[in-house]
Amino acid sequence: MSERYSRQVLFSGIGPHGQEKLKASHVLIIGAGALGAANSEVLVRAGIGKLTIVDRDYVEESNLQRQQLYTEQDVHKKYPKAAAAKRHLEEINSEAEIHAFVMDAVPQSLELILQDVDLIIDAADNFETRLMVNDLAHKHKIPWIYGACVGSFGMSFTILPGKTPCLNCLLRTIPMQGINCDTAGIIGPAVQMTVAHQTAEALKILVGDWDAVRTTFVSFDLWNSQYQSIKAGRAKRDDCLTCGSDAVYPYLQAENTTKTAVLCGRETVQVRPPALVQLELKQLAGSLNAQGYDVKANPYLVSAENDGERIVVFKDGRALIHGTKDVVYAKSLYQKLLG
Amino acid sequence: MIKVLFFAFLKEAAGRESMEVEMSGETLADLKKKLSQEYRIENLETVMAAVNEEFAPDDTVLEEGDTVAFIPPVSGG
Ligand SMILES: [Zn+2]
Repeated sequence: MSERYSRQVLFSGIGPHGQEKLKASHVLIIGAGALGAANSEVLVRAGIGKLTIVDRDYVEESNLQRQQLYTEQDVHKKYPKAAAAKRHLEEINSEAEIHAFVMDAVPQSLELILQDVDLIIDAADNFETRLMVNDLAHKHKIPWIYGACVGSFGMSFTILPGKTPCLNCLLRTIPMQGINCDTAGIIGPAVQMTVAHQTAEALKILVGDWDAVRTTFVSFDLWNSQYQSIKAGRAKRDDCLTCGSDAVYPYLQAENTTKTAVLCGRETVQVRPPALVQLELKQLAGSLNAQGYDVKANPYLVSAENDGERIVVFKDGRALIHGTKDVVYAKSLYQKLLG
Repeated sequence: MIKVLFFAFLKEAAGRESMEVEMSGETLADLKKKLSQEYRIENLETVMAAVNEEFAPDDTVLEEGDTVAFIPPVSGG
């Protein structure tokens, strides 16, 4: 065993055998924002063999305060988060195999990745994605770890298909999002505490110490010094459409209905093309330039600005329309520019 | 007395961290109704509720000395 993991191997919960299990494991992280960056760094440092990270966004200045993997260079270059994360993680641990996907986390794409995934870590920023991940995890019988934070508040729950209640059991309806991300802000420690809970559970699951896995739902408020562990067993519902006896995985079916989404935490609408496409970005940059836009590009995206309009188009055809929450306006601008 | 605790943004919605209500023998659903009607705390249907640190369904009958915690699920990441 190399010196690299010696302190972790000394820890009785892991040991040499646990370390080998980490090396043989594949973790999928949904989202490369604050939770995704911190979760991925902890797990890659701990020596997991393979990590796949999926994110649809790029690095912005307001991310740097809490999204620990990213640098000012990433902001300057408008690097997609997944690609920037991959680069930094490879610098941290060259033994780890890192796969980055700059795309929307939609079921069709994720199902192609899932085959050898041992664990899914939730680092999404919305409930729609989480309920879809919840469905996928149950359909493919993969443990997943819910984590979320806002303000000084955070929560986490480990979901084991066939054993624990699922996210759909806990949430009877999709809660409102607005209050959470737009207005409350967030401090770094809330991210770190959420991630500490997620990654501790991840290590237990990956080394196979099932008895040690936390069964309670944890929530805390660091500013107000509150910590709660809530027993969750009774929340499991037999008629749950995700984990009940007649599961139909409802959030895998609603796909292709939402083509626009207002992005969490900022004045931005995402527009997604109805089919999978691969854009010729150079050509697009030229055409936007000809239409009077100030254009900036990297291998993953084209960013164009004109008269207060700011639009970022990714290779997979998605676009982020900044400065608006009006989905109708966003859609028409998208159609005008990308036809 | 039943002790009611509010977490995260519910604290602001309720204007307090906790309160006590005289509702022994009534259900969790009754409590939610009272909070929305008398204290204008909205959207409690979308909030997770725990009685004595255990998630509890709406038909749970509250007993003297119980503590009810309302925890809004958050989505930030
Ligand atoms: Zn369920």
